[in-house]
Amino acid sequence: VTFASFDFKMSEYDCTTYYCNAGWKELLSHLSPYSWANWGIAIGLGFSVIGAAWGIWLTGSSLVGAAVKAPRIRSKNLVSVIFCEATAIYGVILAIILLNKVSEPDAKIYTFVEGWDFATFYFAGYGVFWSGCSVGFTNIASGISVGIAGSSCALADAQDESLFVKILIVEIFASALGIFGIIVGIIQSNNAQFPV
Amino acid sequence: MSYNGGGDILLGGLSTFNMQHGFVEALVRGYRSGFLSDTDYHHMTQCDNLEDVKMNLQETDYDTFLNSESSITPAVIEAKALSKLVNEFFYFRANAVEPLSTFMDYISYEYMIENVMLLLRGTLSGRNINELIAQCHPLGMFKESTMRNIPSFEANPRGYADLYETVLVDTPVGPYFQTYLEQSSASISAASEVRNVLEEVQIEILKNSLMKLYLEDFYSFCERLGGETAEVMCGLLRARADRAAINITLNSFGTPLNDATMRDTERKKLYPSIGELYPAGTELLSKADDDVKLGQAVSSFPQYHSIFEKFLNSSPEEFSIDDEFYKREVRMYELAFESQMHFGCVYAYVKLKEQEIRNLVWISECILQRRKDQISNFIPVFSTSAEWRAESTRRGAGH
Repeated sequence: VTFASFDFKMSEYDCTTYYCNAGWKELLSHLSPYSWANWGIAIGLGFSVIGAAWGIWLTGSSLVGAAVKAPRIRSKNLVSVIFCEATAIYGVILAIILLNKVSEPDAKIYTFVEGWDFATFYFAGYGVFWSGCSVGFTNIASGISVGIAGSSCALADAQDESLFVKILIVEIFASALGIFGIIVGIIQSNNAQFPV
Repeated sequence: MSYNGGGDILLGGLSTFNMQHGFVEALVRGYRSGFLSDTDYHHMTQCDNLEDVKMNLQETDYDTFLNSESSITPAVIEAKALSKLVNEFFYFRANAVEPLSTFMDYISYEYMIENVMLLLRGTLSGRNINELIAQCHPLGMFKESTMRNIPSFEANPRGYADLYETVLVDTPVGPYFQTYLEQSSASISAASEVRNVLEEVQIEILKNSLMKLYLEDFYSFCERLGGETAEVMCGLLRARADRAAINITLNSFGTPLNDATMRDTERKKLYPSIGELYPAGTELLSKADDDVKLGQAVSSFPQYHSIFEKFLNSSPEEFSIDDEFYKREVRMYELAFESQMHFGCVYAYVKLKEQEIRNLVWISECILQRRKDQISNFIPVFSTSAEWRAESTRRGAGH
């Protein structure tokens, strides 16, 4: 087994400094794909949960206030909270899918073995990162939008029962945004698998 | 006028308003369902005595509010309905955080000014302090000690200065008094022969000056809030300012304030500097000395022009200008409930509840005095049969 040196060649470009930080080109291409991938998982999960929490914060306060005078809305309007929660679940699902793609290398050394599959390596790193971003950013938008619609839904339901289902349709469209994110995210990361 | 980004107080738009104020706004909107509906008013107008009115009110949100009273008079109904409003107001206020809490405090300053004026006027006519305190508006109460001190001052400029320095300086209406004293210090040091004339109008001037300063202060606070709140509240306050200007002019006809010398100096200073009528309309208003000239002064403002046309062409029995202004304001306050995530609904709720209390008192008085022909002259709140709603459904397509 021969070992490649620390400053490995990535195509024709070689680092001019020891830490490969002479410029953006060097820096970005020499960031470890493992770090890209794990960042992606964190962003995907973290932003989804931020979006869900923000949405629940918005809709929950209106729900509690409106239920003071109209207690009948309590159970029905929990559906808005559930829609917000769904965006967090999308984030968790995607995070679990993604982290299954990040596999530990067989050789537990800090340099690369001969014949390391750099193409797959980098593809997987970027794929997982941006897939996480797709999901994270769409879910934060979806969560906030469901929250605002849910708050209006609770207030309208308290005044007039027939309005609930109609405004719920608005919320359904808002939560569809999160579904777009997770569909695209899964397809983006489909072929990404870290080499071992 | 665009108020987006005009605010330096962080209020939050659609996506952040609910974090701090969602609960109180939802409370207010829930309590909106407690307004008396058309059918409730209809049942009450059919009543023959006040006991029936009490029974009808038990079916509504008012519930058993009169149960502890042995005798029911319109004054009792007004007092108990007002105390219901006050309880609701303080419930909202207890749950409010900045800047909503400051906003709600501003709403109560108006009633504090009313109470100060009530106490000052009351002592001028020599009434008992306890009676006066019992009559004070509950939303604008000071500390007991403050209120008992107010009548001990003379009702002249020197007296007001003393009143401010010792009693009112710590209250929220202190700054308004201070500004008023600063602005009128010129006239205090000037002609003292005019003092006798001034004293009887002095209280009027004081009240109107305080209200003007309060409205302008509230207006600038709302502008600082920015966003939807500023749009809605500034519109409502402008309407109030215009009503104040027109009422000051109307009420001054026949009083010394209407004299040619006083008009330009004293009366003109009382018009608020917010509002549609400022500055061109107030300029014309300050020259008006009778109804016709007043009508001409507001003729270029269509919303007031239509009210004044009707006023000038009809007799006082069949047309009350106050009622027209109330109708216009009820419509604006109802519209303040239209969009979410702003403070306008809190202000509108208080004002609309006041209108409802006025309606209850009117209906009770008509029943008591057996004047059933006048009984429908109240202005219902959130009524589906309101004139302006009928207009919009007639013209709208796709209804």
